[in-house]
Amino acid sequence: KLNVGVDTIQHGVEGLAYLLTESSKLMISEIDFQDSIHVLGFSDELNKSLLQLYLDNRKEIRSILGELAPRLPSYHSLEWRLDVQLASRSLRQQIKPAVTMKLHLNQNEDQTAQVLQTDPATLLHLIQQLEQALGEMKTNHCRRIVRNMK
Amino acid sequence: QRFRFCGDLDCPDWVLAEISTLAKISSVKLKLICAQVLRDLLGEAIEYEKILKLTSDAKLESGDVKATIAVLSFILSSAAKHNVDSESLSSELQQLGLPKEHASGLCRSYEEKQSSLQDSLRACSLRLSQLGSVCWRVDYTLSSSELQEVNEPLVHLTFNVRDRDCGRTTAVSMTLSGDKFRVLLAELKQAQTLMNTLL
Repeated sequence: KLNVGVDTIQHGVEGLAYLLTESSKLMISEIDFQDSIHVLGFSDELNKSLLQLYLDNRKEIRSILGELAPRLPSYHSLEWRLDVQLASRSLRQQIKPAVTMKLHLNQNEDQTAQVLQTDPATLLHLIQQLEQALGEMKTNHCRRIVRNMK
Repeated sequence: QRFRFCGDLDCPDWVLAEISTLAKISSVKLKLICAQVLRDLLGEAIEYEKILKLTSDAKLESGDVKATIAVLSFILSSAAKHNVDSESLSSELQQLGLPKEHASGLCRSYEEKQSSLQDSLRACSLRLSQLGSVCWRVDYTLSSSELQEVNEPLVHLTFNVRDRDCGRTTAVSMTLSGDKFRVLLAELKQAQTLMNTLL
């Protein structure tokens, strides 16, 4: 319809995509954007529509770019079970409690599961360590950093 | 304040917030919505269209409808998990601000299905693997490259083990001599006797 070659259109689309993603990535202000494209020597109308396009789509582009960062496996859910071992082939009359857990993890839409087993004493130790880790957020050092990030 | 249906813990904030949404629906419609939620918890298909029709009078937004289903799922499954009887559940829900008719309707639905719910929850408790089936075959070895006359019985066993998560069945095969098989059988019978003493 535009009467130009396929290559030209492809370059045009790529150029436009690059312009928008770089501008959104760096979150540049209106004035900076206008100055940057002014150099290209387009008509005023075109500059205005490019600016409008940038401002309208900036937020969405940023949220998509945010999801492209590499991710570690993240917590999905935890199933657990409390058992008591009463006897085994080698020894009868036992009482050995054990907690079996299945940790479900998500990594980029892949679901994996890890099976873990522990005795109650180790479980209590684990809980204690995790509570200590949560408690770190309340120390002055962490509070200062969180305040400065806001 | 501790609630039995929350496992003797505080009631989660989001549940508290959604109780007021539940009160917007008429108690009769709430009982019908409960029936649908119970179907979902028991593994049958939930009829979302019916729920949408039932909530249309209360003029709930789509987010509120989903929240209603979520809070009812939580209340019903959590009460079954902690083996709460319907009387206690009714009084605890009223303490949280749910009107009396709504609470009694909900608890009547709960009471009908309480044991089925608990059976269903027991079935989906954590389990590492499950024995699907056992196949066996007894052979008689006549002769081999090592010895001309062997004349020994041989048992082939295949255990079909099912993985709960992916539903795949793995076959574990083994071959046992007569003596080994007798030992295996004796040990398993001992284990079975022990299990029977517990039941």
